[in-house]
Amino acid sequence: MTKKEIFLTAAFKENSIWRQILGICSALAVTNLMMNSLIMGLGVIFSLALANFSISIIRFWTPRSVRMMVQTLIIAAYVIIVDIFLKANMPEISKQLGPYVGLIITNCILMGRAEAFASQNNPLDSMVDGIGAGVGYTLVLLVISFFRELFGFGSVFGIKVFGAWWTNWSIMVMAPSAFFLLAILIWIINTHYYKVKA
Amino acid sequence: MKDSFWFPIVFMLIIVIIFAGILSVMYRTSQPKIEAYQQETYQKLILGTVAAKLAEVTGETQQIIMDSYPESYQTHVQELDIPGLERRAFRAVVADSTIAYCFEIGGKGLWGTMQALVSTSTDFRTILDLALVSQQETPGLGARIEEDWFLAQFRNRLFVINPESDTDVTGSYEFIAETQVPENDGQLKRVTGATITSDAVLKMLRDEMNHIYNYLRNKSL
Repeated sequence: MTKKEIFLTAAFKENSIWRQILGICSALAVTNLMMNSLIMGLGVIFSLALANFSISIIRFWTPRSVRMMVQTLIIAAYVIIVDIFLKANMPEISKQLGPYVGLIITNCILMGRAEAFASQNNPLDSMVDGIGAGVGYTLVLLVISFFRELFGFGSVFGIKVFGAWWTNWSIMVMAPSAFFLLAILIWIINTHYYKVKA
Repeated sequence: MKDSFWFPIVFMLIIVIIFAGILSVMYRTSQPKIEAYQQETYQKLILGTVAAKLAEVTGETQQIIMDSYPESYQTHVQELDIPGLERRAFRAVVADSTIAYCFEIGGKGLWGTMQALVSTSTDFRTILDLALVSQQETPGLGARIEEDWFLAQFRNRLFVINPESDTDVTGSYEFIAETQVPENDGQLKRVTGATITSDAVLKMLRDEMNHIYNYLRNKSL
């Protein structure tokens, strides 16, 4: 596969959320605001790309019995590196990202891509796959958070869209709305993109 | 070789050493910058909670006081050592006289502990201003207690014992919906979708202010 095909497959055809139903916990937790979703997405893209790259480099020497421990360790190390770097150099962004850094370590997508792709392919392809999976994840988060923030707060990326006449829908800023929206999104994609019939 | 007993152990050890080493170096080199930023943020929060009072006494604007950090902090803020209080305490001074106090307080939120800085009048009864240092509430919901409209509700509010009636006025404070308009002075707006967190802030202020007042009212600082 070419790099472009790897990227498109990871981002859309085999999208981690709508196709593999991975990373749902964080997708539901952080999508009440678009800025939260974007920051979470960027953190995942960075960690996923570098973790995939590193895991792929050592794949020939990694014993099967400890491979998941190695993968977890590498993922955690990159997430902590991101955290330290942001705290030291971009403290304001770090403050916003703070609660989500821990969530990146526990994101199933990172372990999923490490196990399914990085442990069997070359480092560059693995990195492209990581970026693709991260972009696909970020797009889903942004779509869900767009509707939740719009109807829940009347704003997009914190900018007020609806005027004073708008009554915020409290349900949209609470967890259940993320379930409804994600289910609707998966239904639309399954019906129109994959042509799945009930 | 990969299937031998020792190889996975040695391999894991090497990986741990490499990544722990990278993290240690990164942390060590970044630590001074992180600590300097944390100290600056903390001091600015303290200055922010007493800025309105400083502006009132000195005649300068709050903006000028905040913009002239760190000079304004060094001139007007002093840390106090109060044995037994077990909370960090500061006082705001102008020409050697104390115009306000600031205390670091803590309480339990929905998901973890909250830390805040609260500035008080010199009799420790009234909250002058409030700033959150840290909280672990739900982003977008409980975490909205950091928003200015929510914190502003506690400003210049008597929070301990009513000097006239000798009763705890905080008992009459009640939360109403965020979209509702308060009908009397005792009504405060809660953050939508964060009832427990809003209540936790009120409880923290009530408990901590009463503790500080009861501990310090007969002491000279």
